[in-house]
Amino acid sequence: MVQRLTQLLSRIDRRIVFLVVSLSVIIPLIIELPLPIPIAPESRKLFERVEEIPDGSRVILTFDYYPSTLAETEPMSVAALRHLWRKDMKIVTLSTVGTGGPNIADRVMATLAEEFDKEYGIDYVNLGYKANYQAVLLGLGKSIRSIYPTDFYGTPLDSIPLMRDIDDYGAFEFIYIVSDNGIVDYWIGLVNAQYGIEMGAGVTAVMAPKFYAYVRAQQLIGLLGGMKGAAEYEELIGHKALATSGMGAQSMVHIAIIVFIILGNVSFFLGRRKS
Amino acid sequence: MIIAFFSGEENVSAFSQEQLVWVTIVAGFALLLGVVSITRVSVNSVRQKKKDWPYKIVLLVFLAASTIGAVFEGTERGTVYDWLFQNMNAPMMSTMFSMLAFFIASAAYRAFRARTIEATILLITATIVMLGRVPMGQVIYSHLPGITDWIMNYPNLSVQRGIIIGAALGAASMSLRIVLGIERTYLGRS
Repeated sequence: MVQRLTQLLSRIDRRIVFLVVSLSVIIPLIIELPLPIPIAPESRKLFERVEEIPDGSRVILTFDYYPSTLAETEPMSVAALRHLWRKDMKIVTLSTVGTGGPNIADRVMATLAEEFDKEYGIDYVNLGYKANYQAVLLGLGKSIRSIYPTDFYGTPLDSIPLMRDIDDYGAFEFIYIVSDNGIVDYWIGLVNAQYGIEMGAGVTAVMAPKFYAYVRAQQLIGLLGGMKGAAEYEELIGHKALATSGMGAQSMVHIAIIVFIILGNVSFFLGRRKS
Repeated sequence: MIIAFFSGEENVSAFSQEQLVWVTIVAGFALLLGVVSITRVSVNSVRQKKKDWPYKIVLLVFLAASTIGAVFEGTERGTVYDWLFQNMNAPMMSTMFSMLAFFIASAAYRAFRARTIEATILLITATIVMLGRVPMGQVIYSHLPGITDWIMNYPNLSVQRGIIIGAALGAASMSLRIVLGIERTYLGRS
């Protein structure tokens, strides 16, 4: 009996594992689970700091992510943008990721601009992408125009109303980073450390553990970790959207993985006891 | 740049800014070099019918389509480049990345075993964090998110700090070795 159970548990076909994971994603997306969203202190800190920024201030919002992590990062960008525009802030976006970063920014900004009745060039500007992020981040501290003579559409910065009196980080109250890569280290090391501008970050779940150290050192004001962080921010701004609806699927997949780990270990211990 | 940072003198600062602009220009050409390189490698593979050569044709076709589209039309909304990116590149990259969930589940089932005390600690901690980081964890046990926050803010944070400081010291010492000419392996010398 024990031998059969051990064999059964140790030989679960990987196609069954894949099927369970698929169902764990699909079913909660169809039948939404009413789950509470506990707010992490790091997410609350970020929200509260943005709340404290005077309405109408100028903020940099970065789209430093590849399309592969859109499920985690785009809901963060959308929630951040919603929060910033509710406070009527002027937003300058840029991306240190060449593979589509500016295009994602373009799409997200345009979609929300319509909803909030914001106008390009007056309420927001998309600077686009420039190669070599270290040089870009350092260069923006001295002269934005020398690094970005034109915006994403090729319009000279001087002919964009929002950019007329902006030429370095000193014009901005806050930098809101949304990223899926190591660029956050450079934002902190090159921009926060050298120019003293406050920043907060939204990063993928696998990256988040590293950045707790920066939050504790107050180099980052707050931190959103993965889709859960995005869902927390949606909860804080009172606008449940894509990340909140993904929480059911994420919960079920985590539970499925834990169940598989338990089954694997039960078979391991039963097998060891037998031998 | 170091002198510009500490001196604040206007001419040095302007010179430093000029260097940064040049770095972005040179980096742009490095990207172009990458495009030329991948084109040459792919064309050779197709000519010699090497393994998976039909995939190289697909690569070349879409490389040409996105490059020609971007050069003549730009990359903003409504262009060929943007259409290719939003409707092909983004969904494909997201699909590739999401497949990780399936492989992680399969690998966790096969390999995540409590063989030693260390592995057991890791396994228990991972289970707590996995549950504590999703809303279902709160439903199962209301203190799980709090316990997860504690794990992230104390054991995790101290280890991460060690890694960050260690990596920074390593990078600084390697930079010094390169600047002083002690480290030459990057030039192909021993």
